[in-house]
Amino acid sequence: MSSSRTNGKVVALESLGDIVRDGESVAFGGGWFANHPMAAVRQLIRAGRRDIHAITVVGSVDMDLMAAAGTLGHLSFSMVTLEAFGLAPNVRGGIESGSLPFTEYTGLGLLIGLEAQGRGMPYLPYRGPFGSDIPGRYPDIYATTTCPFTGEELTAVRALQPDVAIVHALRADAEGNAQWDGTSGPDVEMAKAAKRVIVTCEEVVDRQVIVDNAHMTKLPGYYVDAVIEAPFGAHPTSHVPRYAMDAWELMGYAAAAGDPAAIAEYVAQISGETEEGYRTRVLKGRDSVLSALVDAAEVIEGAQA
Amino acid sequence: MTDYEIHELMTCRVAAEVDNDGVTVMGSFTPLAYASYMLAKLTHAQDAYLVGFDAVGMAPVQLSFTGAEASAYKGAACRWGMLTEINSIHLANHGGVEAVSSAQFDGSGAINLSAIGPFDAPKVRLPGGAGAAEVIKMYRKMIAYFGNHNPRTLVDKVQFVTGTRWKVGDRAREEAGLQPGPIVVVTNLAVLVKDDDDRPFRIESVHPGVDVRTVVDNTGFELQVPADVPVTAEPTQEQLDLLRNRIDPFGTVKFDFVSGRERLSYLKEILDAEWDRAAARLA
Repeated sequence: MSSSRTNGKVVALESLGDIVRDGESVAFGGGWFANHPMAAVRQLIRAGRRDIHAITVVGSVDMDLMAAAGTLGHLSFSMVTLEAFGLAPNVRGGIESGSLPFTEYTGLGLLIGLEAQGRGMPYLPYRGPFGSDIPGRYPDIYATTTCPFTGEELTAVRALQPDVAIVHALRADAEGNAQWDGTSGPDVEMAKAAKRVIVTCEEVVDRQVIVDNAHMTKLPGYYVDAVIEAPFGAHPTSHVPRYAMDAWELMGYAAAAGDPAAIAEYVAQISGETEEGYRTRVLKGRDSVLSALVDAAEVIEGAQA
Repeated sequence: MTDYEIHELMTCRVAAEVDNDGVTVMGSFTPLAYASYMLAKLTHAQDAYLVGFDAVGMAPVQLSFTGAEASAYKGAACRWGMLTEINSIHLANHGGVEAVSSAQFDGSGAINLSAIGPFDAPKVRLPGGAGAAEVIKMYRKMIAYFGNHNPRTLVDKVQFVTGTRWKVGDRAREEAGLQPGPIVVVTNLAVLVKDDDDRPFRIESVHPGVDVRTVVDNTGFELQVPADVPVTAEPTQEQLDLLRNRIDPFGTVKFDFVSGRERLSYLKEILDAEWDRAAARLA
């Protein structure tokens, strides 16, 4: 039995600041308003991490909050938006003022760069974003290559290896076997590409629970270095089927985010409380409704899939 | 004449482009596009194959801000992640209809979702294109929709090309290994179509009460104006009933057409209604 199986990987959220170091590149899982590892984001802020090179495919409040807290030294992304709640004001402000260096990927290019790394390839070719101005901006990431068989011109995207990937799963065991029921977004690709992988999850379970639901294991434990139990760990983004996004907290965030004094207070509050304290303060017994929102979402009856 | 609002006409016109061929993927919750796909699936394109939030083969769902993801999952045949999805749909030429909106759009079919002003020090940093840079090229049909048809959005040349159609004409697309199909622009004034690399967009139709001159004056790129420009079909009563009662009872599509101070209160009203419905299930 390998050491990865005998040594439990379960650690407390509070140790995250020791696992992730200033200046490292960190891929954050989730996408849209789904499944961002928000408990980990909050903990990195509490730990005072600085100069983090964040990598996100479709980021939202996770990236904006870290931009506001001064956690980020660089941002690689294909999209960051608060959707109905507006543009992400702190990411936007950081880029417009020049204080937040950034790399804008095309969405598929970023995923394929992660895929290349996960497959042990230095790059992968694909039918890329022909005509886009983005590749020309980043000759160290995008190049043109030719198919050796047909002569077709293709886009080559360089392998991307984050120092760390942090993803939020439904459950994991002490070996790091991690399961998702709802969306897994870019999580698996990020984990396969990164040097170290941290899984936060709604609950840590016995191996037997994982075995009983083995079809839901999307990330086997040999990839994983640390497992952290973090209930409501994606809040205020969603973790289907457990809870929907907390649109009310997001609305509050968006209102604060565009105001320097208000966002400083928002960040100070998170920095000064534990994750448990955060849950108590923000959920205020609303957790049952956030769960009921998942059940309330309707498929239109009588119509065919 | 049936009483309807402009976002309903636009939804119906986008829905008309959705057919039973290929796979249509939804990412971010963009209500008008979502409503169009659901409407098509409940009417003329019941075999349209939908994917939302990596939930593949999803059933038509009722729109809501908090429930879009959960409802997509509930009726889906399969749950993937992003990489499987892009390799299996977008890059494998299975994509049917892609509907996008952007801050700027030009007469070549290019979109700008990146920056207004210099890319490195922008006046306005936009959200970024996610997969649009690749996807609008790969899909059989590209639909671009704009709730406010004006020359600041429909420009002669976008300031930054986040993505393009790359090849427009059917033959050029097929030679490049892409599915043939047009670019269709649906705005609050008109429908514009481009299906040839060397010819400009032409006005396909103007909406009821809109004259051709208004469309030309509000478009920053060259338009081909046919001698006779038809009027866009109005929504039918059946379509309006489906949209208002079954697909979008909370009114999420209209949210993108509400501006200024009313926008936030409109959003709050929808969210309150969503909350009340969920809370009632607990009671």
